[in-house]
Amino acid sequence: MRNTIKFNLANDETESHISDQLAMHHQMKKETTISGQLTYYDTFDWRLFNKSLVLFTFQNKLILRKLGEDRIIHSLNAKPVPCFIWEFPKGDLKRYLEPVIKMRRLLKLVNLVSCTIPYRVLNQDQKTVARLLFETIRTSSRKNPKTIGSQLWLKPVKGYPKLSKKIKSLLESIGLTSSRDEDVFLRAISEAGRDPGSYSSKLRLKLTPDMRADEATIIIWQFLFQVIKINEAQIKHDIDTEILHDFRVAIRRTRSALVWNKSIFSERIIARFKKNFSFVGKITNDLRDLDVYLLDKPKYKAMLPAVLREDIDPLFDYLGKQRSVSFRKVIRSLNSNKYRKIMQGWEAFLNEPQHDLASGSNAEVPVLELARKRIYKQYRDVIKTGTRILENCDDEKLHKLRIQCKKLRYLVQFFSNLFPPKKISLLVGQLKMLQDMLGNHNDLSVQVNYLLKVAEKMPANLSQSNKTLIAIGSLIGKLETKRKSVKKSFTKTFTHFSSPPNQKLFRELFALQSEKVFS
Amino acid sequence: MRTIALYSNKGGVGKTAAAVNLSYLSARTGAKTLLCDLDPQSSATFYFRVKPKLKSGTKGFLKGGKSVFKSIKGTDYENLDLLPADFSYRRLDIAFNQLKRSKNRLHKILKPFKAEYDVVILDCPASISVLAENVLNTVDCTLVPLIPTTLSIRTYLQLLVFCKKNKIDTSRIYTFFSMVDRRKKLHLSLMEKVSRKLNNALKNDIPYLSIIEQMGVYREPVVAFSPGSTASKAYQRLWQNLQETILINP
Repeated sequence: MRNTIKFNLANDETESHISDQLAMHHQMKKETTISGQLTYYDTFDWRLFNKSLVLFTFQNKLILRKLGEDRIIHSLNAKPVPCFIWEFPKGDLKRYLEPVIKMRRLLKLVNLVSCTIPYRVLNQDQKTVARLLFETIRTSSRKNPKTIGSQLWLKPVKGYPKLSKKIKSLLESIGLTSSRDEDVFLRAISEAGRDPGSYSSKLRLKLTPDMRADEATIIIWQFLFQVIKINEAQIKHDIDTEILHDFRVAIRRTRSALVWNKSIFSERIIARFKKNFSFVGKITNDLRDLDVYLLDKPKYKAMLPAVLREDIDPLFDYLGKQRSVSFRKVIRSLNSNKYRKIMQGWEAFLNEPQHDLASGSNAEVPVLELARKRIYKQYRDVIKTGTRILENCDDEKLHKLRIQCKKLRYLVQFFSNLFPPKKISLLVGQLKMLQDMLGNHNDLSVQVNYLLKVAEKMPANLSQSNKTLIAIGSLIGKLETKRKSVKKSFTKTFTHFSSPPNQKLFRELFALQSEKVFS
Repeated sequence: MRTIALYSNKGGVGKTAAAVNLSYLSARTGAKTLLCDLDPQSSATFYFRVKPKLKSGTKGFLKGGKSVFKSIKGTDYENLDLLPADFSYRRLDIAFNQLKRSKNRLHKILKPFKAEYDVVILDCPASISVLAENVLNTVDCTLVPLIPTTLSIRTYLQLLVFCKKNKIDTSRIYTFFSMVDRRKKLHLSLMEKVSRKLNNALKNDIPYLSIIEQMGVYREPVVAFSPGSTASKAYQRLWQNLQETILINP
């Protein structure tokens, strides 16, 4: 027997009562009580919980374990607790968490107090042959705290399995039962009034195929509005860059849905909100750009020759200051009357009875039919533009294709639950590859132009150093070379995306019966 | 996994005391540590209150794999396990000799520990034989405790000659002074004279103190039962030096 066994303790099953019972059969040694704060962490969008991971601190140790299990995956001595992955010391925990939390901040979820009374079970040589831990987890150390969990852990010592089995039987004979009940983390979170996994920017819509198009559209917009409101409330706290990102994506998705809903709702209403959301979208453009530059600082530095790496720092100092200015501007805009009125107007529209609003010809069309029509049309536009680029690859067309792909992706995501999930994820994967290539190309073009402009704009005292300008120049050179190489990869990426099996899959999923076979 | 051997071809130089305390200190850093007691005298095993018995004796040890794992015992300390000694180890040399590729056999025995342990420390018997060759060929670092006496230095020089003859890499052999009595002129003068000439000499001396001998009474590492003592501090400095200089490099 090597694994730790947990016994849940009822109120009357006290530590002294159980240890007295055991002491009649084994020599027991009580050790010093260990008590301390137990703090759980996760990101704003529950990335750890979604991967069934639990991250917590106890006695200056940051510990990662699986939800529902006691086995520690990795731990490290951490004081203060790192907020972002780049603040973690190099090691196993960092490697494990990096792909999970990425650039998101770790937020404190709940503080508890854990109190453990350890006992050692000794043999005739006074050697420890098993350990017992009586643990009580409470909401606070103040008077009358609520007990979240009270348990006894039997930890066998390697090489003494028979003894641990004996103790287990003994504990069972006095009425204790080993259990695999709800994780204490879940109980603690629920006690703190939090609903784990409640927020995700991912579209989790439940549309039915025969739902009216207007009804489905309102559901999509309402979901996006929730995402907008949740993130909007957090932007001012500047927790991490992805709050703003999620906010922007939700705005973009809302705008995208407005474009293809002309034939469902009155054109006047759609035109009004298109204009409004165009304004809302622009509010955060500068701030997001600066966030991305600052997030990519290590990447940029790595591109430079070692002798210039430190000389690029004044650029990032300048961008950091610009970000502060931009952040304040965004907050002002979000607090402005204009923004509030737009959002109030949008909320009122979403809450109005739908049939009053839906006056377009497609309002009553089943959503499945509308989804197929829109997605397939958008797909054909993508194929058309892409094919033209194959003949003559210019940046303008690549930009156009990028926007078309984005719209296609949103459409597929909005209606994904109406189609077979495996096929949809395959298509999204293929589309993502093309989008990544186009996105990279666009980002690199924008970055080159931005750096050229910023080098001119930087105050003299910051750009004084010739070496800083050389570093910026060198960076521009690297980015431009990379852009050209990404551009060259278009043919391969697009040919893969538009391959006959993919075309067949799109046709199979989205083409209407009446439509001609598209080739 | 990093492997360290406490080895000397001379007995009574403080190998076991160092192995026991360094293992404890290693485990305390959170590293999963295994102490292998290869000495049939089984002193390290005694210090940890474990019975000196392997499930299938020397035969099982040489076979490696599951039969060795089954014999491992947890100690009183978190992260620290012990592979106990066995009286049959007195014939370990002969047993090694009878095997094919006998000089590298230990490497094969230790290999499965890689998945389970971060640090493996070997407490070796005093001998200069095929077991010594195995140890010196296998571990990342061999620590040789030297008492600042003529005979102790002489046996160390014998070891170097042995290594040269058997083409053993001596760059992984480190020394430190052990059982140092600073009241003795001989100790001081020998240390001064020799330390400059020694390659890989760690500048951490372990003093000759009765509290280290009391480990036999307490049956615990001195670092555990008297963490503030001079002896404990000396072992802590030695461990820190090992961590910062030798163990840090892959």
